[in-house]
Amino acid sequence: MKKTKLGEFEEMVLLVVVVLGEKAYGVEIKRELEARLKEQLSVGSIQSALKRMEEKGFLNSVFGEATNKRGGKRKRIYTATPFAEMVLKELKEIRAGLWEAIPTTEVALKTI
Amino acid sequence: MNDSIDQQPPQWPIKLMRHVLNHDYLEEIEGDMEEIFLDNMERYPEKKARQLYIKESLKLIRPQLLRHFEGRQQLNTYGMFKNNLKIAIRVFQRDKVYSSINVIGMATGLAIALLILLYAQFEMSYEDYNPNADRVVRITMDYLDGETLVDQDAETYPPLGPKIKEEFSEVEEFARTYGLGEITLNVDRKNFRESKIYAADPSFFEMFGYSFIQGTAEGIFQDPMEAVLTEALALKIFGSTDIIGKRILIPDMEQNLNVVGVIKDSPANTHFKFNILISFETMRTFEEDIDNNWDGNNAYTYLMLSRAHQYPAFKSNLMALNDQLHELDLINSELVVGQKIKDIHLYSDKSFEPEQNGEATRVFFLIGVALLVIVIAIVNYINLSTAKAMDRAKEVGVRKVMGSSLGLLRFQFFTETLLVNFIAGVLAVLMMVFSIEFFRNTAALPDSFTFLDQPNFWILLISILVVSTLISGAFPAFVLSSYQPIAVLKGKYAHSKAGVLLRKALVVFQFAITVFLLVQTLAASWQLDFMRSKDLGLNIEQTIVVRSPHTDELRGQFNAFKNDLLSQSTFESVALSNSVPGLPTSQLSTSTGINLVEALEIRNFNFYINWIDEDYVKTMEMEFLAGENFLSGSPNENMIIVNEEAIRLWGIPSPEAAIGKKVQAWGEHRTIIGVLKNYQQLSAKSNYLPVIINYSNEFNSYVSIRTNSTDVKDQLRTVAEVYESHFPNAPFDYFFLDQEFGKLYRADEQFQTVFGLLTAFAILIAALGLFGLASFTVSKRAKEIGIRKVLGAEVSQLMALVSKEFVWLIIIAMIIATPLAYMTVNNWLDGYAFRIDVTPWLFVIPALGVLFISFLAIFSKTLNVATANPVLSLRDE
Repeated sequence: MKKTKLGEFEEMVLLVVVVLGEKAYGVEIKRELEARLKEQLSVGSIQSALKRMEEKGFLNSVFGEATNKRGGKRKRIYTATPFAEMVLKELKEIRAGLWEAIPTTEVALKTI
Repeated sequence: MNDSIDQQPPQWPIKLMRHVLNHDYLEEIEGDMEEIFLDNMERYPEKKARQLYIKESLKLIRPQLLRHFEGRQQLNTYGMFKNNLKIAIRVFQRDKVYSSINVIGMATGLAIALLILLYAQFEMSYEDYNPNADRVVRITMDYLDGETLVDQDAETYPPLGPKIKEEFSEVEEFARTYGLGEITLNVDRKNFRESKIYAADPSFFEMFGYSFIQGTAEGIFQDPMEAVLTEALALKIFGSTDIIGKRILIPDMEQNLNVVGVIKDSPANTHFKFNILISFETMRTFEEDIDNNWDGNNAYTYLMLSRAHQYPAFKSNLMALNDQLHELDLINSELVVGQKIKDIHLYSDKSFEPEQNGEATRVFFLIGVALLVIVIAIVNYINLSTAKAMDRAKEVGVRKVMGSSLGLLRFQFFTETLLVNFIAGVLAVLMMVFSIEFFRNTAALPDSFTFLDQPNFWILLISILVVSTLISGAFPAFVLSSYQPIAVLKGKYAHSKAGVLLRKALVVFQFAITVFLLVQTLAASWQLDFMRSKDLGLNIEQTIVVRSPHTDELRGQFNAFKNDLLSQSTFESVALSNSVPGLPTSQLSTSTGINLVEALEIRNFNFYINWIDEDYVKTMEMEFLAGENFLSGSPNENMIIVNEEAIRLWGIPSPEAAIGKKVQAWGEHRTIIGVLKNYQQLSAKSNYLPVIINYSNEFNSYVSIRTNSTDVKDQLRTVAEVYESHFPNAPFDYFFLDQEFGKLYRADEQFQTVFGLLTAFAILIAALGLFGLASFTVSKRAKEIGIRKVLGAEVSQLMALVSKEFVWLIIIAMIIATPLAYMTVNNWLDGYAFRIDVTPWLFVIPALGVLFISFLAIFSKTLNVATANPVLSLRDE
């Protein structure tokens, strides 16, 4: 991988942002990730991951609309940069390569 | 309250966020937090949603999201703060003894105070788990004799609940629970002897906020023999919670219970704890007309009001109901009274409480003591910093000449205090982590009692630290910074009279508290010894008590069992009884309104009833004052034995006069055949109970066995073997009478331990403070001592010279503390039915102890100087 590293948690958050598309803002990301990971996450952990990735150039963000439920405060919608999508694909390929490289006997042994 | 205010998240975390978070992120994060809060408000009770909000907002404090404090506008102060911190650390390191006295004093004080406050918080948190807690009330019975209250009973008549629900518009629901004592349960041919089993109305679960792990509250408890188990018991007897539809055999009844649900265990902070709830319908199979039973009050009755504020209306309705019940002649000389369930744990001490309750006065007393401890720690800090003031005077002078402003100097001294407090805070948390186990055991707290994961704890810790920094930092910050630079630089130490006086006053204060606490501790320990060694009127040593098997088995085998034991020379006697001394009152039966047949005036005293066989008095080594024991081999019909207290209430002048008198009890005339010397059924804290004893050799709950061997544990094995050979189906369940009796003193022991710890702390702090002061005085008078020595003064004379000034302070402290201590000790002892007298020794011993310790503190320092070579001190300049 290149100079800029993507942590495991960050990768998850990034993937969720890609999955959610235009709906990707703080609360929705948290909800989606909690449902998928089946654990409680804090706002702090999600937010700091988002901010970190924005600094590293994986994410862009713009203010979205404000709703009543948020006390009139605007959402911030995140989108993944082309660079991020490239890194994600790269990671997937590296993983896939590794999975394929596992000797079949080992896998067979494990399943016995 | 209107809804829009209700829906607001707590305000202070918002302010905190606005203050610390990066402003570019603020709008987004605040919005997210509010959205999540509103979601949580729908999902959880409001309190939980607020707690989650606070937790989340604290978790936001992480480097990535914080704003940059070393920003442009704030550069200057920040730099100054860094410099101050550096100086503070250097000052801290320069005099390690002084600094560690400060830190240790503050840390121990904090740790002790926080533990006590957490304990108090736990005691005050009873029923908080229950979302309905503020609108659930319990009704209980007050027994009256004329206008005077004779006894209060937590249990009520079963028809009261339904009647009140029907007639009171503000009462939404009722729930009764009916204690069933101990029951043997049989699952997979294994026996389990379980207590805390209650029959309950179906409404109980919702009223007390219990959630089901298995099954549901809907539609259950409509039929007899249905049971709901707590998780812990389900795991204990089935090894699983997936047990809906399983059966539990009750051998004594030859019937099966159907398990219809498993719920969470009763929390530690509730007054009503249980293992199994059985449908109230079951009671109707024993007693068809239980809903019209006005003869026995054995049910706890809880009522749920529609709204909490209807309580006063409910109380006045209750008064009207009492009049109605009296008119209908359903109750006599009794009143139905209500209490909020939140008040039960701390304020209710009635007969037949389901659990041992706490005491509000004790909790408030401990809170007061915790605050006192913090005050002592702060006083110690101020005391030591005034002693240290002269050393810092030159530094202050130089700083002022270099152009430092008053504000900056104060800022610096506050930084130093902050550093000491911060280190003390960290140390205190460590101390607490290491001592929590010990503390839990001492104060008999549940294992779930923790503090590190409680936001309240951190809030408390931080607020105490802030307050103590402000108070203890104020003296050095304002006094030290006010020195005149020219005077101090010339070497003229302004010996401020006010400073000296303040210091002396503080020492007096510390020692007064120390003496006060010592007297309390000593009194508590003497009282405990007194109660333990008091003549109980019976012998509780070397007695094994076994819970008896159920009636059929007992009838057939008891004599064989007894003879088997008595054939061995180590056993002296074996007796049956319905209750034994040392058990809580909830294990006794009571009856009111038993009077002499010849009595002119009907009185309403509450008597405690026991059933015994002919060997019981001998086994317990009780003493007859007059009359005789029950006859053996006879049913002893209509004969009773009473105790001194009972005949006192009936107004019989002497034990002899009581023999042969008849009393009207349970619709019959019964003859007094014997009068027992008063004996202690409960701890010596409470007075003798009036007791009426009937004869029974069948329906009894306990078998008491007296052995003459001192190795009681060894004898237990023999008893167990013999028991199991005669009663193979009954579980062998036993206790040692003296140990059971000892449990009555547990609360007093806890109190003594807590107080002992506090006193040790107060002594430590006072000694540290005195040590600091002595070192200060000695260093200031080093030259004087040197000159005196050159002129021929003895070491002992020098020691006397320096010590004199402190001895006076300590004597003044004692004069102040003694009357205060006398009053509180006397007051405290008045709570005991049998108490020690307050003797002068109670004050002389602590006084001597304090003097001794202070001499140690002073001498350790002065001896150094007095024996040192005078040349050293005189050459210094």
